[in-house]
Amino acid sequence: MASEEVARDVLQRTFVKGGRYWQAVAVLAVVFLLGVVGFILKLGDERAQWGYFAATFSYLFTVAQTAPVVSVALRLAKNHWRRPLARASELFAVVGLFNLLFFIPLLILLPSIEGRNTIWILGVWPSRFYTPHIFDTLALVGLVVLGLLFLWTAAVPDFAAAREQRGGRGRYAFLALGWQGTARQWRIQRALLGLLGGLYFMDVLTTHFLISSDFSMALVPGWVDSIYPTFHALTGLQAAVAVTIVTMFLLRTVGGYREYLPMESFWGLSKILLAMSLMWFYFWWSAFITFWYGRLPVEQNIIQLIMFGPYRPFFIIGFLFCCIFAVGLLIWNPLRKSPAAMAAIAAMILVGGFFDRMRLYVASWSLADTTEHELTKVPAAIWPQVPDLLVIAGGLAGAVLVYMLATRVVPVMSIWEMKELRLYQVPRQLVRRRMLSLGKPE
Amino acid sequence: MANQAVLGLYRTPEAAADAVGNLQQAGIGHNDYEIMTGVPYPEGTFGEPPVRHKLYVFPFMGAMIGLTLAILEGAGTQLAYPLVTGGKPILSVPPIIIISYELTLLGAIVFTVIGIIFESRLPRPALGVYDTRITEGLIGVVCTCPEERVEEVRGLLQRAAAIEVKVGQG
Repeated sequence: MASEEVARDVLQRTFVKGGRYWQAVAVLAVVFLLGVVGFILKLGDERAQWGYFAATFSYLFTVAQTAPVVSVALRLAKNHWRRPLARASELFAVVGLFNLLFFIPLLILLPSIEGRNTIWILGVWPSRFYTPHIFDTLALVGLVVLGLLFLWTAAVPDFAAAREQRGGRGRYAFLALGWQGTARQWRIQRALLGLLGGLYFMDVLTTHFLISSDFSMALVPGWVDSIYPTFHALTGLQAAVAVTIVTMFLLRTVGGYREYLPMESFWGLSKILLAMSLMWFYFWWSAFITFWYGRLPVEQNIIQLIMFGPYRPFFIIGFLFCCIFAVGLLIWNPLRKSPAAMAAIAAMILVGGFFDRMRLYVASWSLADTTEHELTKVPAAIWPQVPDLLVIAGGLAGAVLVYMLATRVVPVMSIWEMKELRLYQVPRQLVRRRMLSLGKPE
Repeated sequence: MANQAVLGLYRTPEAAADAVGNLQQAGIGHNDYEIMTGVPYPEGTFGEPPVRHKLYVFPFMGAMIGLTLAILEGAGTQLAYPLVTGGKPILSVPPIIIISYELTLLGAIVFTVIGIIFESRLPRPALGVYDTRITEGLIGVVCTCPEERVEEVRGLLQRAAAIEVKVGQG
């Protein structure tokens, strides 16, 4: 497809959505509203009952707010097969705005650090009791702002293209901010993508550290694990790759972007997903073995609480789906080369990831007293009630809904990057085989 | 006398490069012309000099300011509440590392945003001399010059096989 056709085709698909799209939006909106009902029903519950809500928040953060890292990392590595998937992963930044809604009730419910062992020290007023509240909010809001800036920077040339197609007026004129495509603007845009991407990568790791420490580990007296925040971030990266693959597959099959999303993009991501799945075991094992060999009563109680005790079914599902089955399937090259198989494996990892978050967050939030010196008794499991199920369904549906609505405004395929690839790519014949030669400008 | 902007539109990068060459030969400074494309061509494709910018200074400055604030806040807290914890010194680095990292990062982010405003020269309320076909693949070479040189510049741009030349306010 020629460059001009790419722009016309992608913009047309952005402006005009079919009946199936609107049906999906309607269904998601209804499920989201049911989630709101579930949330209202939960108001007044004790803190221990909010574990599934916290798990949903953490899952959305893990999946959606980590997803732009896929684009950031591959862009910094300057590879070309990432071009068709770049925008699909960057667009998850908008879900961060939605997730802030989940963050507010959790901030209210998060107990003061007084009398607890946390990563913070008691400071002076106003941060004396609310240190994590202030700094966690700064980190999360910073991440959302950074994600949106990164998305805008990556999409501004496409907004300008949309502006021209829409007669130079409307929301695209506003979003393009007078972009003309001068050499200086392109240079600044490239520098900004590198800078904002690097900052996003740094901030997403910090936020994983803060969320995992303050919203789960520090709620369990005596749980001191320096590997846990790293495990949290690593599983976030795994989920980010998985959700990008699932999104690509849906865009390819349902969204009509088959021609733009070649097998190579799935194949490239599959190898990263395999590495992440292997590392899942490494990080989990490193944390587990320390507690298991330590055998202090508190250590035994903690591995009971988050792995082998009341939430064992969640742990087993998470462990099998994110690690054992994932590695067992991803080692096969024919599966890695099949977009459908990759989407199925990635979907399995996403399901496993949700169970993993539930066993961590529901367990952490289930403790009534967070100021004990150490965990002496493992409480019974808290199973989800109807409002919890509504909140989970509504939260996930809301995130997908926000993403889908964003695709109405932001082209889901990076038009300028696809056109740029055509500048560097030349078909040529090598003896009897036809192949593509790729120029490297740097 | 007010400056005018002259825009030449080209179908091929070669023609646009010829137009840039013509402008350079006529002694027009590289700050007085711009190349507009719908795709980011590698620097120097049209024979233009590299674009200089100071964007990298902004996050660095922001990071330094953020780090300074974090150290002041952390150390200030330690000195204001001199509680000995675990036999460690009152004033020590490890307890303020998290805040230092976070505020350094936030400072860098805030200043990067300021940098975008300064360096990208966006938003532009009016597009000036521009052609919407640039986003569809045409290449524009726009030259800002005094009114008395407009005809000369128009000729230089036309000579490089421009498909159209437009003149407007610079």
